[in-house]
Amino acid sequence: MAPVPDQHAQDLLAQYQSLLPVYKQMADVIPEKLKGFFDEAGIIVAAVEHRVKSEESLAGKLKLKGGKYRDIFDITDLVGIRVITFYIDDVDKVASVLERLFEIDWENSIDKRKAHEIDSFGYLSLHYICRIPESAYTNPEHPELNRIRFEVQMRTVLQHAWANMNHDTGYKSGVEIPRVYLRNLSRLAGMLELVDDEFSRIRRELSDYRRSVQKLVASGNLGEVQLDGDSFKSYLQIGPFDMLSRRIASINQAEIQPVDLSAFLGVFKAMGFKTLGDLAALIKDYSDAAYQIACFQMGITDLDILSSSVAPQNLCTAYILKNGGGRAGLKLMLDALNGPSESNGFMADFLLEQTKDLPFMNK
Amino acid sequence: MEVKIERENAVVTAYLIGRLDTPASLEIAPQVNGLSADAGGKVILDCSELSYISSSGLRIFLTLRKAAAEKGGKIIVRNISNDIRNVFMMTGFLNLFEIQ
Repeated sequence: MAPVPDQHAQDLLAQYQSLLPVYKQMADVIPEKLKGFFDEAGIIVAAVEHRVKSEESLAGKLKLKGGKYRDIFDITDLVGIRVITFYIDDVDKVASVLERLFEIDWENSIDKRKAHEIDSFGYLSLHYICRIPESAYTNPEHPELNRIRFEVQMRTVLQHAWANMNHDTGYKSGVEIPRVYLRNLSRLAGMLELVDDEFSRIRRELSDYRRSVQKLVASGNLGEVQLDGDSFKSYLQIGPFDMLSRRIASINQAEIQPVDLSAFLGVFKAMGFKTLGDLAALIKDYSDAAYQIACFQMGITDLDILSSSVAPQNLCTAYILKNGGGRAGLKLMLDALNGPSESNGFMADFLLEQTKDLPFMNK
Repeated sequence: MEVKIERENAVVTAYLIGRLDTPASLEIAPQVNGLSADAGGKVILDCSELSYISSSGLRIFLTLRKAAAEKGGKIIVRNISNDIRNVFMMTGFLNLFEIQ
């Protein structure tokens, strides 16, 4: 039979029951609001979890240390929220969002990351005890809302995984765990800490790389920039095919529909281009040929709409034909752009027929 | 120009029959605009009996593509003749659609 709580604990449990709807509302609303603020701040989080402490769990806590609390508002973890980030740097960003939104009870908040000795490894998490300031939100029907403190735990997915595994060992159950298991868990914590740092370092280096590529693209040093997804995206931002597109559009005073050109990266790589400088050379050397193809195709039509992909498509066509790629090369290009299909073979034949007498083919 | 529309489960198939020139585009615009409402799902434009397409016709295709992009749907162009495929290629429309 469960022990009957003392009078003080019973009073606290009664207060808890009367405030339970408010706790539940807070646990539902605050995470949703937080997600919105994280989005605005550009922070991608893995998850935002929440829970309201159960009455049973509270009763257990009160049994152990009920005398510590004067009233229910002294208990700070009845509403618990957990923000799980992908990167360790984002834990501090999430914390700064909380600092802007809530009153932080610094005395009861704890940074477990700083709690370890230099030679120990284990639970790493940042815990803030928060309160909703009246300046941010009040509810006349529930004035106690601004008195209720709640806990927000912030950690990375790896820290979260370790904390869960550690919890599963049942070290709090009173059963003594052999030293070797605890040491293994501690070793794992050390390893995950290293992995977290590595993920953050890789992200920082990627950001640095992207910035340096953007700088090189902007300065025109294209020969130094390797052709890859990031560099091609940066290159497209300066509109390298725009001049040729406008020239082609002028044939029929056509309207240009801008479309995503990222599919051309695979074609350019298959054509052996290594740097953005190679692409710049392609545009410089083959724009006239690409224009000739467009003139031949569109000059006898009244088509006055085209997509921005015509310019790179015609550049690739001209390059393939001038460099001996022939039908097979054209079909490969069309397969890459339009998806593999037998009909691309027909289009390749058609292109061969259309271009065979154009001036650029006979230079 | 005629458009026959069939709905089966979540798939809408529009059979385009005849020449899709500028007057025909104006004529079928209300029907095609109606298809934009279905663009959140799968819309198939069957061109097996479409003999010609003008810029106005291409604009109709593009309108549907934009509606599908906004609604997360898919436009499939089916059974196009080689002549129309050539028009799609020279205008850069070929890689804007899933062609079957």
